[in-house]
Amino acid sequence: MTPRTRRVIGIVAYAAFVVFIAVLPSFVSDFKAREYAYVGIYLIALLGLNILTGYTGQISLGHGAFMAIGGYTTAILMVGNEQFGGPISGGLKDVWTLPIAGLVAGAVGLAFGLPALRLSGLYLALATFAIAVAMPSTIKRFDDFTGGGQGIQLFGVPELTGGVSNVEVLGRSFTPNDWLYYLSWSIALVAFAVAWLILRGRTGRAFRAVRDSEIAAVSSGVSLARYKTLAFGISAAFAGVAGGLFAIASAFVNPDTFPIALSIYLLVGVVVGGLGGLSGLVFGAIFIQYLPLWAQGQDLGSHLPDFIVEETQKPGGPAIVYGIVLILLMFVLPAGVSGLFRKIGQLISARRYSRSE
Amino acid sequence: MRRPTALVTALVAALAVALPVALAGSAADPGVGTTSILIGGTSPLTGPAASYGSVARGAKAYFDSVNAKGGVAKRKIEYRIVDDAYNPAQTVQAVRRLVEQDQVFAIFNTLGTESNLAIRDYLNQLKVPQLFAASGATTWGRDAARYPWTIGFQPSYAAEGFVYGKYIAKAKKNAKVAVLFQNDDYGKDLLVNLKRGLGRSGSKVIAAQPYEVTASDVGSQVAKLKASGANVFCIFATPPFAIQSFVFANRLKWRPLIINNAVSGTSNTMALASEGGKNKSVEGTISTTSLKDPLDARWKKDAGMKLYRSIMAKFGGGGNVNDANNVYGMAVAHETVELLKRLGANPTRAGLMKAARSIKDAKNPFLLPGVVVKTGKGDNFPVQQGQLQRWTKGKWVPITKLWASKKN
Repeated sequence: MTPRTRRVIGIVAYAAFVVFIAVLPSFVSDFKAREYAYVGIYLIALLGLNILTGYTGQISLGHGAFMAIGGYTTAILMVGNEQFGGPISGGLKDVWTLPIAGLVAGAVGLAFGLPALRLSGLYLALATFAIAVAMPSTIKRFDDFTGGGQGIQLFGVPELTGGVSNVEVLGRSFTPNDWLYYLSWSIALVAFAVAWLILRGRTGRAFRAVRDSEIAAVSSGVSLARYKTLAFGISAAFAGVAGGLFAIASAFVNPDTFPIALSIYLLVGVVVGGLGGLSGLVFGAIFIQYLPLWAQGQDLGSHLPDFIVEETQKPGGPAIVYGIVLILLMFVLPAGVSGLFRKIGQLISARRYSRSE
Repeated sequence: MRRPTALVTALVAALAVALPVALAGSAADPGVGTTSILIGGTSPLTGPAASYGSVARGAKAYFDSVNAKGGVAKRKIEYRIVDDAYNPAQTVQAVRRLVEQDQVFAIFNTLGTESNLAIRDYLNQLKVPQLFAASGATTWGRDAARYPWTIGFQPSYAAEGFVYGKYIAKAKKNAKVAVLFQNDDYGKDLLVNLKRGLGRSGSKVIAAQPYEVTASDVGSQVAKLKASGANVFCIFATPPFAIQSFVFANRLKWRPLIINNAVSGTSNTMALASEGGKNKSVEGTISTTSLKDPLDARWKKDAGMKLYRSIMAKFGGGGNVNDANNVYGMAVAHETVELLKRLGANPTRAGLMKAARSIKDAKNPFLLPGVVVKTGKGDNFPVQQGQLQRWTKGKWVPITKLWASKKN
């Protein structure tokens, strides 16, 4: 396969995926659209995390914290924090808060990228983990700004589009769940294209150079400082937008909505999707959204043998099932779903090659 | 111009006739089937608060035992529990799933203050009952007018804190009180009302240390509280942290009068805290409860607790029979069954809330004798009574008659 045919295949696959996403809600129940919306939201965060971890080689265990920053930016811009004694009066429609959520989280990401320059590998992972650990307490500490532990309620406020009534867009009426689905997936698809454009050009090459060998990258004139902070900034901005959408979808934020576990799930999602690939991330996002449910025997209950369903009902059951599935998956797909796609691609081109001989 | 008007008039007339008929036709509310009635709720089955999972499992065991005898009004009660890992964002997703996809009749026994806050506006807008929220926040009862579809169950943390304050003021002159509290509404409700209970008695809170529910231990907090020179130590913490508090206090050779909040006051938690009898700081601890404790010898021959043990054996699914959270679960499940019985053959969501606002049940087999589950005009707190007890030689001994909070 020449690079050109590969690019054509990629664009055709992307277009087919866009069409699939556009028509999917017509074939599933209204509620399913809401769950798929969450898949789109996680996809945005995973795209960002993969730019940092998969392409630039910097492990982050703290992306839940960047999502929290985005989520709180959205919530505070919508309803303000004057009710807790803060300075912001709010009143911004939910959709317009999202770019700002991305910018704020991106700025924090850039700022965090600077000290992170001195750290690499495990030490960086620990430093990023520290922000994930500190985030809930920090939110509670500044409770006159964030509302503290009781959180911020977004359901029923006029700034939230939808709620329980239908949403009119361009003369078409959407149920609140369909609206959420189209909102998050249109942003996810744009995010996908943006990530692809960043990674295919000069910047992407520099990221990969940093990942593969820092010394080699520096000797070829790639500025480590510039590209590492840039990767952090871009990655955090993606997470910020995802966090903002998450707040809109849940219509509620509090410190526990962005727990440490979320940061870990995101990393798990990237690894399952495949480090250094974009197409597999959709499966990583599905994994984050659905495995905790499946591990409880929800949805799949009727398709599974009774003894497994029974196991999931016991204390600690879901966590054990989750762990086992994760281990099995890593055995079968060590390079994630993207790795599987790559392998299939290689097999096809190898066969073609041998045939043309 | 005339014809469309006529057409519209005809249509409106047709609708006016058809609509009441259509409404009358769809009498049953969501979740009410011919042989079953579906309710659902979230519970932390995993995560930092997973030990509270038995609040849901105990309730399920009770429903299963009722179902084995034919259910209520020939309907089996199906109670769907979804894990939310104590994360309100997951509660929102799970509850929407239960309401929109699974079409439950009511949301029941969802655990956690923030989790219940996160779904309250949604459920009230859709007019879905939020029955017996498993949280002691005062807002469930206080704001019943604004949220008519929401009701709590247990005594409020506010009432509990107040009772401890009153007790300390009476038991110890000019007490210096140190408080460890969870850094959220639950911990703060207890702390604020403890101070209210102390009033102007001369006893004062001289030190208060918060901890996060995600923290790994509370050692430094306990050390700071000891350093304050207090002679009363209030533990407003969930079981793992309460146990640590006792252990650290003992290691620091600190022997204050300890007050331990009800959520950690079960006998099995206390037994763990006493480290097999080695930890003497546990002796003399004061707490309060409204439930019968499975380890309390007083209930060995009690009919209610016999029922409890037989249900746990048959339907408990291997859960720990000594875990008092199961008792709590059965107490709410019992009350729910009583409500459903009152609704009769055609239960409706509105009817359920109406019944929940007019409970009078003095015979809940899992609550202390004398505790009356009661709601009515201006009273939206089902359980408002409890009993102070002292941990004496490995078991709880009641030290007062039932207390009752009037306004919570």
